[in-house]
Formats: sequence, structure tokens, C-alpha cells
Amino acid sequence: MTASSSIPAIRVLLVDDEPAIRRALRTPLNEMGFQTTEAVRGEDALHLVQTQTFDVVLLDVNMPGIGGMKTLVRLRALAPRLPILMLTVVDGEEEKVEALENGADDYITKPFSIRECVARLRSAVRRAQTPERNEDAPIAIGEIQVLPTRRAVSKAGQSIHLTRKQYDILYYLMTHAGRAVTYGKLLTAVWGPDYRQEVDYLRTFVRQLRKKIEDDPSDPKYLLTDAYVGYRFAEQLVENDVPDAPAS
Amino acid sequence: MMNFRRVLPAGRRRETLAQGGASAPTAPPAPAVAQSQLDAERLCRLIHETTKLDPHRKPGHQLAFLVRSIFQVESVAIFDADLHEVYQSGEWFDDPQNMLQNISTFETVSDDPETGLSRRVLHMGQLSIGALVIRGETRGQIATAIASVVAITFDRYHSFANESRTEIARQTEQLRTTVLDSLAHAYKTPLTVIRAASEGLSARGSLSLEQAELVAQIEEQTALLNRLTTSLLRTARLQASEMIPHAEKVEVASLVEDVVASLRDQLAKVSVRVEIARDDLSLRCDRGLLVALLTQYVDNAAKYGAPGTAATIHAEDGDSEVIFSVHSKGPVIPPADFERIFDRYYRSSASSNKAPGTGIGLSIAKRAAQAQGGHVWVTSDLQKGTTFYASLPITPQGGIRT
Repeated sequence: MTASSSIPAIRVLLVDDEPAIRRALRTPLNEMGFQTTEAVRGEDALHLVQTQTFDVVLLDVNMPGIGGMKTLVRLRALAPRLPILMLTVVDGEEEKVEALENGADDYITKPFSIRECVARLRSAVRRAQTPERNEDAPIAIGEIQVLPTRRAVSKAGQSIHLTRKQYDILYYLMTHAGRAVTYGKLLTAVWGPDYRQEVDYLRTFVRQLRKKIEDDPSDPKYLLTDAYVGYRFAEQLVENDVPDAPAS
Repeated sequence: MMNFRRVLPAGRRRETLAQGGASAPTAPPAPAVAQSQLDAERLCRLIHETTKLDPHRKPGHQLAFLVRSIFQVESVAIFDADLHEVYQSGEWFDDPQNMLQNISTFETVSDDPETGLSRRVLHMGQLSIGALVIRGETRGQIATAIASVVAITFDRYHSFANESRTEIARQTEQLRTTVLDSLAHAYKTPLTVIRAASEGLSARGSLSLEQAELVAQIEEQTALLNRLTTSLLRTARLQASEMIPHAEKVEVASLVEDVVASLRDQLAKVSVRVEIARDDLSLRCDRGLLVALLTQYVDNAAKYGAPGTAATIHAEDGDSEVIFSVHSKGPVIPPADFERIFDRYYRSSASSNKAPGTGIGLSIAKRAAQAQGGHVWVTSDLQKGTTFYASLPITPQGGIRT
């Protein structure tokens, strides 16, 4: 996909109390066609989203004042569909889960790669701008295809038999492709809120599911593990991972 | 306050009389009996006074003073072998230090009527913890009793002091952990900025070969610094939790999956193989500690494994334990280092030139295993490669909270 200058710039609200981080992000983001607005504290960010329009928010977790997590919750209430990406540090696994369950769309770990950051920003914006999909529309990612009307799954044209729960997991993850789905969310979606703690249970199902859809279940390409957080279904496969397509 | 002039109870008086070994019970108190009674009263008073001493202050000086004033002797000198200090009260013409040290070392006890010196060893159990010398009129038995009181008082002070030393050590450790934690966090900001800036440079694509090489070095070393920082942070976190294991059911396959996924970046150069004896292999242990242990092993395999080789993570259950191992092909660890490599700050000569590290990681692995009643070891040779092992009980050993 090539970005053309006719596409309006993505408007990013950058919220971080560290001037150095804001500066480090501002230059490359502007250069790559993003339009950035900066806020030093969560309180400022809340004020800004009520007066201006943004396509996506990059929000630091550790900030003075009300802090990132409270800001997230309040932003969510103010703008339910606005994509919010959290900036965390590497050891904050619980923080990541909390952020995702509080409505963050994704998280980026410091020190992040700008390439990755840009990719995440773009995909979050794209997802938010994609019109609500028809529940029954077929989904295809890589070689995996799902036909919701028939609850049928195939890989490279070969039909795969899944149990009811395996299908539910796959369907949920594929309709949320590219996003980190916490164990709690997935369990709630498939089994109901009473089961949101049953992580080991879920993992067993995912292992079985991987055996059916992955080439190498111990090195998955589709159903990825988001360490200590949950799962993430690949949004699209890296090209060289897809077996040679028949010559056209 | 207790009255020390009070007459001793009947039973006690008979005992004192018997010890005095003198006259008939009906006779008025003989001088020896009166002396015994006085001694007993003085001893009681000494004991009472010592119990009032501040247990946090060195008791030596006050003890010397108390003994001299209560027993009305000329001079008293006490030696604390532990602190190597001498406490005196009254006049000593020669420095009594040597005499006291000799008594303590050679355990020479004597009562010398000519010089009026009573020498006693301060005993705690079989152990000599110091010496006492009294000059003046004292009976042998009483000098021995005084020595016991002094020894007990010293012992009380030392155990209090030890306790507070442990407390101080704990607080120091806590402070170190806090500093480490905030330092590691503070490093993340500059690291983020450096990484973004150097990436921004290389993304321009207009760099000469030399410039690109320099930027690549910046990126490489930034990544390295980040890994070290992350490992420091992990260490700090573990120490903060004081390694008190909280056992829960842990599914091995899931946990290994998380560990491998979290090290995805580090594992770019080696491939990973996971071999778990059975899908439902599980144990009761502290999840965080096991994660720390395996993270360290897998990280090590990624760091030292030759590019293009495989790191194999293996887990199987034995009779009462689960044995984890991480195998890789890299530099050989000499047998002399098999034990020491798990020591803090020790880095094998085979490794220190090859890859940067803090020398903390493997000691964390060892502590994480030991805290749960497990143990760690390593084997390494040129043919078979290097394998780090950890064995953990399937159910927690005593002392672990569940």
C-alpha cells in the first residue's frame, strides 16, 4: 500500500510528560505525514479532545497528575471510538492488561521502534475507520478463511474441522485481528464472564486450535501469543511466510 | 521498686546456711552466714540492675560500674571478646587488657588471695565470650555468679545488635532495590529517544556506507543497553518481592509459551524448539519465580547460542519434580565454572568476551529455584553443547505459602 499525499494527514495527540519523548516522536511522525499535537498531562489531553478532532491518541502510562490510566478511562468515556495507544515500559505486564481492559486499543513498549509505532498507529486508525463489518461476511487472513454463515473454516482451500469453542475463539480473534486480546476478554466473549479467570483452560483450547491452523504450532504465524497479556491474531502475514502463490 | 534489704525467704535462707557450712540453725547468724546473705542480696541487686540496662547500648561500662559499686570491691575489668573491648571501673595500675585477653583465650580461672584478684571466663554455653577480673574481697562462688550475670547481659546485647544489623541489611537491600528500579525506569526515556533518533537517521536512506555503519552501531548498542536495563529492572522486581514464593498451579506449556513470546526480539538469531513431555504437564510453584528462571535461561541461550543454531527448551516430570532444561550450542563453559557461574557477579572467562551481561542473571535463576526447594546445574562440552537445568518440586516444599 502506498501512502499518497492526497490522503489527509493522520492527526495524533501525543500525551507524555517527558519533553524528550515528545520531541523524539514529533520529528519522525511529522516527516511521515502525521500531524501531531502535544499534551504534557492527562488533564490537558482531556481538554484537547473536547475542543479538537484527533484520529488517534498516544498516551503515556506514567505521568504526574491524574496519570495515564485514569486519563484513558475518561478519554474512553468522552470518545468511545477514538483509538488510544498506551506507552508502557517493558515490565508493565499488569499495566498492559489493565490498559487493554480499560479500553486501550493497543500498547507500545518503551523504547519502541518508530517503524513499529507508526505501523501500530496506522493500523489502529484503519480499524477505527473501517465501517462496521457485516457479522456474516467471510474473513480471510493469509491462507485461513472463515465463513461465518456456515461456521466453516478452511486453510489453503482445505476444510478444517473445529469444535464449537475452537471456532468461537478463532472467530473472535480474527474479527479482532491485529489487536491484543486479553485472556479475560477472550474468555468472557467465548465462555462468559464467570470464566474470565480460567486462563489455563483457554490455553488448552488455543493449543488444540493451533495444531489445526498453524504449520508449526510451536512457532505460530497466525494465532500469536502476546506474552503475559493474551493473544493477537496476525493482521496480515509477512510475505515470505506465505507459500508460493500459483503463478498468474 | 524492689526492696533489697528484705530478709530472704526461709527456704532460701536454709540453703545459704547450708552453703556457709557453719553453725547450728538455732545460733545467731555467724559472720560467714551474714556474709552469704549479703552476697545473695548483692547478686539479686546486680541482676535486677542489669535487667534495667538499655539492650541497645553496649553494657560493658555500666556492668563494670555496677559490680564495683554493688559488691564494694576496689576495681573491676571486663573484656568483651566479640567487640574486643575492655571496660574498667576503679583504679588499675597496669592496663588489664592483656590479662583479660589471656583469661578469655586460655580460659584460666583463679582466685589469688595474695593480689586479691579473681579471674573468670565469661561463658555462653561452651563458648568463651570474654573475661572478668575483680580486685577486692570476693568469694570464688560469688565471682563465678557475677561472671554469669555479665555473660548473659553481653549475650542479650549481642543478640539485640544482630537483630538490628539484620534489619539494617534488609533496609539497605530494599533501598538498593528501589534505587535500581527507579534508575532502570529513568533509563527508558533516553533509550527511547536515542532509538527514535538513530532510526530516524537510517530511515532517511541518504547515508553513506560509513554513516550507515555508525548509525547501526548506535542502534545495536542502544538495544544492548535496553536489554541490560530490562534485566536490572527484572532483578529489582524480584528482590523487592523478597523471593517469598507463592505457589499456584502452573501449566508448563503455557508458561514456556509466554517466556518465548516475551523474548521474541532476543531470539531473532537462533531458532527455538519446545519439547514438553506432555501437554498437561503442570506443577505447583511460584509462577513469577519460574518465569524469571526460564527467562534467564532462554535469554542466555539466545545471547550465547551460535547464530543459526537452535535453542531447545525441554520439560519433563520425574518422580517428585519437574526438570526444565535449555540447551544451546555456543561457547563451552569450563567445568571449573559449573558452580561459580551461578554466583552473583561471576562471569565465566568463556563468556565475558563474547557477550555483555551483568553477571546477575544466573544468580537470579539459582535463587528462584532454591526459594522453592529446587536446584540448578549446568553441563557443557564441545560435542553436546551447553545445557542449563533446573529441577523444581511438583508440589511445594515446606515453608512456601500457598
